[in-house]
Amino acid sequence: MITARARLRVVQDRIAALRRAVLTEVEDINRLIYHILRGGVVVSVAFLLFGFILAGLTGLPLPDHSTPPRSLGPLLVQFTPAGFLNLGVLVLIFTPVARVLLSLLSFAEERDRAYVLMTAIVLTNLLISVVLLA
Amino acid sequence: MATVEVLLLLAVAAFLAGLAGSYLGIGGGVFLIPFMTLALGMPIKVAIAVSLIGVIATSSGAASVYVRDHLTNLRLAMFLEVGTTFGAIAGAVVGILVPNVYLFLTFGVVVLYAAASMVRVAETAKDRAYRGGEGERPLVKRLNLSSVYFDQEDQGVYRYRVDRPGAGFGASAAAGVFSGLLGVGGGFIKVPAMNVLMHVPVKAAVATSNFMIGVTAAASAFIYYSQGLVDPSLAAMVIIGVFTGTNLGTRLLVRSKAADVRFLFAIFLTGLGVAMAARALGLFGGVL
Repeated sequence: MITARARLRVVQDRIAALRRAVLTEVEDINRLIYHILRGGVVVSVAFLLFGFILAGLTGLPLPDHSTPPRSLGPLLVQFTPAGFLNLGVLVLIFTPVARVLLSLLSFAEERDRAYVLMTAIVLTNLLISVVLLA
Repeated sequence: MATVEVLLLLAVAAFLAGLAGSYLGIGGGVFLIPFMTLALGMPIKVAIAVSLIGVIATSSGAASVYVRDHLTNLRLAMFLEVGTTFGAIAGAVVGILVPNVYLFLTFGVVVLYAAASMVRVAETAKDRAYRGGEGERPLVKRLNLSSVYFDQEDQGVYRYRVDRPGAGFGASAAAGVFSGLLGVGGGFIKVPAMNVLMHVPVKAAVATSNFMIGVTAAASAFIYYSQGLVDPSLAAMVIIGVFTGTNLGTRLLVRSKAADVRFLFAIFLTGLGVAMAARALGLFGGVL
């Protein structure tokens, strides 16, 4: 009778440990996605505010068209409002893409083939639509 | 270059778009594009480019909070995103083949029907609760789409079953077609598709929709950006405004009653449906 009770307790402990493990895993990926999305927006807003402050201090004009990433370097080095406003916008555009990449990694880590496949399809489709529309 | 007044007006509009967008699970493009073209007199291309940036800002800002609070169904989002991204590619083709009039008329009718369903069918805690694994479709079971969410309104944890995965997938593809055509997030189709068709509780549907719309918008936004079509100063004001708005909107949603969210969404859909039908039929000079 005592051994049966002890065994039951062992089983219960194992179930509880398993449940904790599952919960922390879910919690981890949720926290990580939260930090990526939130971080992306906050960093973007910081660059944008800095751009506006630069415009106020230097009197340089605000930009009215986007600068492709490869020509952005010189604008940033010279501390122009255009450089930092463009950078802020770019950081924001890439935030959701970073989130999808993170999902891909987390599904791969869980060895969840169906979801790895689906995430890969989404990324491929995004690439195709960029090529199609450009 | 835009004047200071225009920039400030835009920031206020973006704040409201972010507030409504995060509360309703939409990107806010349906508010921002008409505001920029009609009230500020900007060209449609500039408005679409800036609005796409606003959609990403709403999506990222709001989704982060909803993911942290376990409102978002991450698996369902990934499943439906497959449909949406296929739809967005199809949208480029459909836009050439089918006249816009029929598209607007179809969506107008669909949106009005969804509004009626959301008001007519009540969502109560009892409807949402179910026992694990009971009556799930094979695909839902295989993909583990059903989920739980925590509702702050009554401090309850609700387990819900996802129904009709095929129909939801199709509706998401249709939403993708629309966002490919118009430069909006398509949340106004995704939320009713999840809530009415798939029986996902409205708050989880709003959170999941918000989570999804940023991805499709990012692809289009990058194209506009690399062609120099995004005005960074206008986009900056929109991002800052939207970010502030989502901080308030997300707080409102988690505390709201599900019935209120559905009612407000139905009102929003009715307005949108009428505007779409009017545009298709050429009423009001086609300005809407």
